[in-house]
Amino acid sequence: MLNEERIKLMTRMASYEENEGRHNMAIGNYFRSDYISLQVMKSIISATLTFGIVLGIYVFYHFESVMKEVYQVDLLEMGRKLLLAYVIFTGIYTFICYLVYSYRYNRAKKSLKKYYAHLQELSELYEDDIRR
Amino acid sequence: MTNILVLREYLKGIYGKYEIYITPVEKFLLSFITLMLINRKLGYMSKLNGISVILIAGLLCSFLPMNFMILIAAAFILLHLYAFSMECAIVVLALFLVMFLLYFRFSSKDTVMVLLTPICCSLNIPFVMPLAAGLTSTPASAISVACGVAVYNVLAYISDSVAALNSMDTESAMQKYRYVVDGLMSNKGMLVMMAAFGVTVLVVYLIRRMSINHSWTIAIVAGMLTAISVLLVGDLMWEINISIFSTVIGAVISAAIAKLLQFFVFNVDYSRTEYVQFEDDEYYYYVKAVPKIAVAKPSKTVKKITTQKKDVAQPPRTTGSVVRKSNKSGMK
Repeated sequence: MLNEERIKLMTRMASYEENEGRHNMAIGNYFRSDYISLQVMKSIISATLTFGIVLGIYVFYHFESVMKEVYQVDLLEMGRKLLLAYVIFTGIYTFICYLVYSYRYNRAKKSLKKYYAHLQELSELYEDDIRR
Repeated sequence: MTNILVLREYLKGIYGKYEIYITPVEKFLLSFITLMLINRKLGYMSKLNGISVILIAGLLCSFLPMNFMILIAAAFILLHLYAFSMECAIVVLALFLVMFLLYFRFSSKDTVMVLLTPICCSLNIPFVMPLAAGLTSTPASAISVACGVAVYNVLAYISDSVAALNSMDTESAMQKYRYVVDGLMSNKGMLVMMAAFGVTVLVVYLIRRMSINHSWTIAIVAGMLTAISVLLVGDLMWEINISIFSTVIGAVISAAIAKLLQFFVFNVDYSRTEYVQFEDDEYYYYVKAVPKIAVAKPSKTVKKITTQKKDVAQPPRTTGSVVRKSNKSGMK
């Protein structure tokens, strides 16, 4: 026999699985440290590429002066400056990403906890039906 | 008022019933308008200017995910720019890549705002997006809207500089490149607009989350005033030459559109607000409950009346139908 309460619960759960849940379940498959370190690594790659693009734009813009000065400047000193700029930029961006992904992981876990509670509730409703 | 609410219920009903068809049509129209605007503004590659190309791209976008539309729009922009000047294409490609790598990589849902913001800007209703984003989204949307402003201004700048870029020698690629980069880096108008939009999103978001009556309406008005104020202050400081009249008119129209959005998304009856207090083991709760305005759709019932055959002498059986229209509208 149809159980209205059970149908409502299943509809809500199916809707969750279709939308927000799909994303959350993918996150929920990871341990917290695994998920965050993977995202942080991706962020470092993104930051590195961005730094490369901006540096490329800058070098291309000052192409003539760069070519003139390349034999006169202290390359080691310039390399050190560039590295410092890269570390600061990547560090800040990665730190922001770390905060965002930590928040997202916690939110997904909380949401999945609710989903599992609904699963439990559904299982109890089925058991009630069988007992009747 | 009741009639408008009934209309809203009808529209919601129609959308719910035919969502599977309406969503692709919406996507098609959005991609069609976007590509038409790109072609009108840039349009340097003649192969992309044909209506058939736009229609095919629009059809593709209609059933593919939203982010595909962004990809197509970006490809159109880059191909047009490539046909015009390689240097412009490189600068814009770099801008797109930086945006993607730094922000949209972890906020893929917001990409549609980058598409809608330039559209609204070119329709002279630029403040619709910051108001809508503040009303319906998170404060992070401020970055998306600011990126949209950047895209619009970059394209507008290149489109306005066509004569200057064409007058340069074809061999002086470096000169062209510098001209484009200089123009973008020193574009104070763009920076002021980005700041105005970003601040507006934050102001609207913060006010609409407040537990005050008519918070959404106050947020819309405050957002509109904030955007105008920031633009005027920017104009005073850097002389970006904005037209005050068109800015105010654009802001008022944008606020009206945001109010319309509010009508569909957040429509509550503050006159029936209830304040309740209760407690559990850990907390005291002071709850303000504001009921949503809802009206029932007028329902049509078709009643069939069939005359019964009593004897042979009676006239032949007739069948008729009465359409009874009952209007059950009223506040629930």
